[in-house]
Amino acid sequence: MSRQASGFRAWVLQRISAVYLGVYLVYLLGFIAIEPPQSFEAWRTWMAHPVVSFTLLLFFVSLFVHAWVGVRDVVLDYVKPYLLRVLVLSVFAFGLIGSGLWVAKVIFLAGQTV
Amino acid sequence: MMSDNRPVFLNLFQFRFPIAAIMSVGHRASGIFLSLLVPGLVYLLDLSTSGPEGFARTLEILDNLLVKLLLFITLWSLLHHLLAGIRFLFIDFHIGAGKVAGRQSAMAVTIAAPLLAILFGFAL
Amino acid sequence: MKFIVFRYNPDVDATLRMQEYEVAASRGMMLRDALMEIKRQDETFSFRHSCGEGVCGSDGVNVNGTNLLGCITRVSDLKEPVTVRPLPGRPVVRDLVVDMSQFYQQYRAVRPYLIRRDPLPEQEILQSPGERDQLDGLYECIMCGCCSTACPSFWWNPDKFHGPQALLQAWRFLADSRDQATDERLDALEGPYRLFRCHTIMNCVEVCPKHLNPTVAIGKIKELMLKKAI
Repeated sequence: MSRQASGFRAWVLQRISAVYLGVYLVYLLGFIAIEPPQSFEAWRTWMAHPVVSFTLLLFFVSLFVHAWVGVRDVVLDYVKPYLLRVLVLSVFAFGLIGSGLWVAKVIFLAGQTV
Repeated sequence: MMSDNRPVFLNLFQFRFPIAAIMSVGHRASGIFLSLLVPGLVYLLDLSTSGPEGFARTLEILDNLLVKLLLFITLWSLLHHLLAGIRFLFIDFHIGAGKVAGRQSAMAVTIAAPLLAILFGFAL
Repeated sequence: MKFIVFRYNPDVDATLRMQEYEVAASRGMMLRDALMEIKRQDETFSFRHSCGEGVCGSDGVNVNGTNLLGCITRVSDLKEPVTVRPLPGRPVVRDLVVDMSQFYQQYRAVRPYLIRRDPLPEQEILQSPGERDQLDGLYECIMCGCCSTACPSFWWNPDKFHGPQALLQAWRFLADSRDQATDERLDALEGPYRLFRCHTIMNCVEVCPKHLNPTVAIGKIKELMLKKAI
């Protein structure tokens, strides 16, 4: 983690991801409120749409970047002992990477079989 | 005289936090809460797309009263985080960054988030 | 009027204690006057003050949970009982007197003076009225410490985060048309701590007795970094 990556760039990444997350979230909330998928087929068809797959994948990428910067900020503020800090950040990083691989699989499979 | 056991006044209950600070704590707390829910969200996404049974099971889970309560808190957190985030973005570009404007927007975010969550909850 | 005052004398007390005083409020009485009255009642009580008109920045204290300057705060505006404590997060030397050295170190770290590359002219370096206007709302800082000691980020990382006071001054020199060290200054603010511990909580703006706005100054530093990066 270079100094360059951890100050200004983290701040910029957090803002850019925030804008995408915000816009996409409004779309998602609107989608769920206005025409929630009533059946498995409808749900799967929506998920399998290439535009949805792509934008949803981008949503999760933004989410992980955003969450990482945010959690790192909280850890830098409150968690002082060096080892504990490394531990908390590692657990969180593994959680995010794991969730990322998992959701990539889900989106990929949903896109394949319709 | 330098490093010693001199007392420090730092009792957070005796410090008066302005509304903007309280809203900011909410932004932070909701962010942590939401990020802890990510694996759960991915699990539900996996389950619901795994097949018709998985989809039915997902709806069943979401119909649980406790889950609904969790969902409401999540929605509140999400809206608070979103609205507070929009406020922060504006302040980054010096819009509404004055003392009074900052207080007003902080109050608006804090009140609007739960109201919108209730409204949205009824729509579902 | 009832005052509850934070007391600590390193020679006598093992720990802090709160002591009550009764002060007769008079017309136009400022908190500083009340503290001086308490001092008359009890010689062992210490607090810093000097000019008595909000210029020297000596009597920053925490009153009923809010940081303010004693000399420009009317006691009639305060809710009773008036609880007076030292500025938060700073080691207490005695009673309301705190050790501000870390705060000064952070100020020093932003190099609060003009840096020139060009040879200095024989006379003064001229500035247009417009350029001079850029310094309004920045140069007025009296370094009382109300803002930085109200800032949670400064509470958690006073050794690494510059704090609102020093960052306002960082921008004061970045905004000065006569200064020629913009890139150096911006580079020196990089990293996760010095500037970027600021989370726009705006406690600094709430308490500044001179009505300055460190949040806007910090925003302008980030904006300048963004402009330089693109």
